[in-house]
Amino acid sequence: MISDFRLTSEIKDSSLIIHTEGYINNVGGQKIADEFNQKHGEEIRTVILNLEKSKVVNSIGISFLIEIIEKLNETDGKLIFTNLDSSIDKTFSIMGLFHFASKADSVDDALKTG
Amino acid sequence: MTQPDLTSLFDKLNLQVKSFQEGFEVLSQSKKLEELAKHFSHILRGNLLTLNVNIFYKKDIDSEWCELYLYKKKSKEFLNQVEIGELPRIIYLQDAFIKIAISLPLIDKSYFALLIGGKVDNSEFSELDKLTLQIFLQLLGNGYIAFLNQKKVKELLFSLNHRILQLNSLIDTGIEISSLEKSDSLLDLALERSVMLTNASAGSISIYEGDQLLKTVNFPTALDQNYVINSQHKLQTKFEFMGRLYVFTVLEKESRDGIVDFDDTDEILLSAFARQLNSAIENEHLHKEALENETNKKEISLAAEIQQKIIPSILPEIKGYEVAGINIPSKEVGGDYYDCIKLNDGRYALVIADVAGKGVPAALLVSTLNASLNAYLNSQIQLDELAARMNKVIYKASPSNKFITFFIAVLSPESGELDIINAGHNPSLILKNDKRLYRVEAGGVALGMFDMNLPYAGEKLIFNKGDKLLLYTDGIPEAMNSAEEEYSDEKLEEFYLLNSDCAASEFLDKLVAEVRKHTADTPQSDDITALLLIRK
Repeated sequence: MISDFRLTSEIKDSSLIIHTEGYINNVGGQKIADEFNQKHGEEIRTVILNLEKSKVVNSIGISFLIEIIEKLNETDGKLIFTNLDSSIDKTFSIMGLFHFASKADSVDDALKTG
Repeated sequence: MTQPDLTSLFDKLNLQVKSFQEGFEVLSQSKKLEELAKHFSHILRGNLLTLNVNIFYKKDIDSEWCELYLYKKKSKEFLNQVEIGELPRIIYLQDAFIKIAISLPLIDKSYFALLIGGKVDNSEFSELDKLTLQIFLQLLGNGYIAFLNQKKVKELLFSLNHRILQLNSLIDTGIEISSLEKSDSLLDLALERSVMLTNASAGSISIYEGDQLLKTVNFPTALDQNYVINSQHKLQTKFEFMGRLYVFTVLEKESRDGIVDFDDTDEILLSAFARQLNSAIENEHLHKEALENETNKKEISLAAEIQQKIIPSILPEIKGYEVAGINIPSKEVGGDYYDCIKLNDGRYALVIADVAGKGVPAALLVSTLNASLNAYLNSQIQLDELAARMNKVIYKASPSNKFITFFIAVLSPESGELDIINAGHNPSLILKNDKRLYRVEAGGVALGMFDMNLPYAGEKLIFNKGDKLLLYTDGIPEAMNSAEEEYSDEKLEEFYLLNSDCAASEFLDKLVAEVRKHTADTPQSDDITALLLIRK
């Protein structure tokens, strides 16, 4: 599969922050899930997904995000999306993601609420 | 059996039924297979009084067993004791660690394996235990069906949401595309949405004119065109607009298990996006055209205003003479010009000209002609020199397909001497007082046609009392009717002779009426311009 997706991550105030860049499709979603599975532990309850540089996401990418949300919910953790493009915001809203995850304008805002 | 024994059995059975009901409720709420296995192990422990419960799962008969719930790792060594069949198999083993090996075939051809150790009190499993186990296994099968249904409901919900998203995006994209004005943005947006909603990995829009590739837009931008051309997993649609072919391609439909074929919905979606794009490009084109037309109208209106200032509204009065002129452009801005200019030495220059073409370019040349003519007329140069100089000016100022036919007659009012140059214009007509008609043809090539110093030969005439000079442009003799018949030079000359007694302005009005009578309903195709000089 073709992909331009890249990500970086950091841990700040016991939150895992994943910064994405490019199309969140099968490849992108898998990379996010791998990063989450690798870094997520008992000490990290909040995961912040900064989508500032991702403007397009497909339903396969969304299915990975739902899995992450489910895993976090099992351990009373939470996922916060930040810097959402209006189109992605609407997509997540229609797909019901905001029933189980929240959103913030920026990573700093998410850290405050997290 | 005694009454107390019966009561005890009844209570026990009641308790068991309650336990089955609760067990099913717990099992049917399991969100994951691991959760289902964990719940079932708890139920078994409570009802069979055993701790050692281990549960495994295989997707189909050929798959490997995977552990769902383990009490003891060692239990895995007993998986070979599990016998798979079409019906549940319960094998009681003579082993101290694992006492029961069970295989449970499931509705979707997958299997559970259960390995159960001995009871906590080391007693043997009773017949009631065995019966309870069979009922609970049935409960596990039903719990698995509930789990699958829950999964299906979840998938259905996801799929329904995705359909809503597709419809919503289609509507949104239509609105967004129609509000964008730049083609590049239109292409980018339509491509991104198509890729996203068809779950494609990538996409491309290529624009061709004939065989030539004009432009390609890719998503992701680094997509290689050879990859697009050679891909075996693509969906394509095309449309044409203004001689250009737009090829819309999406590549590699994704699933969690890899690349799958695009389906009918994808085809419908891609076509819908292509239609939206086609319509948006067409609208953008029409919008640009409307803006250009508006700009052109303003420019033409401005040029017409300048043109109207160049063509005189009032001609000078010449003592002993009568002069009148008329100009009716066929478009808002015409290419004809006439004037009667009083010179510093008391003479008068009567001029008529016709620029090849109409509209703003013609008006610009008329303006150049007017400016250079006014500059040269009072510089006391001979008319042939004036024509040569003006030829150079017009040649430099005009594109290769533009030139000006030009006629000038400089009148010395007292002597009646006429100094004439005709630069490629149609002959002017002199009607002598004895009704003889002369055509003045002498001159040279039209102004601005060649820059080869070609000579302009002038002519001198004496204009006597009662003589008339008619200057006109070809819009009069060449005016056509619906049968494509020209008004003609012959008819003009005939009309000239027949109306020789008319005053100058009256003659011109009658001439225009005569020409319009000939053309009738046919729209005017060329400017009508004429200038008449009469010596009283």
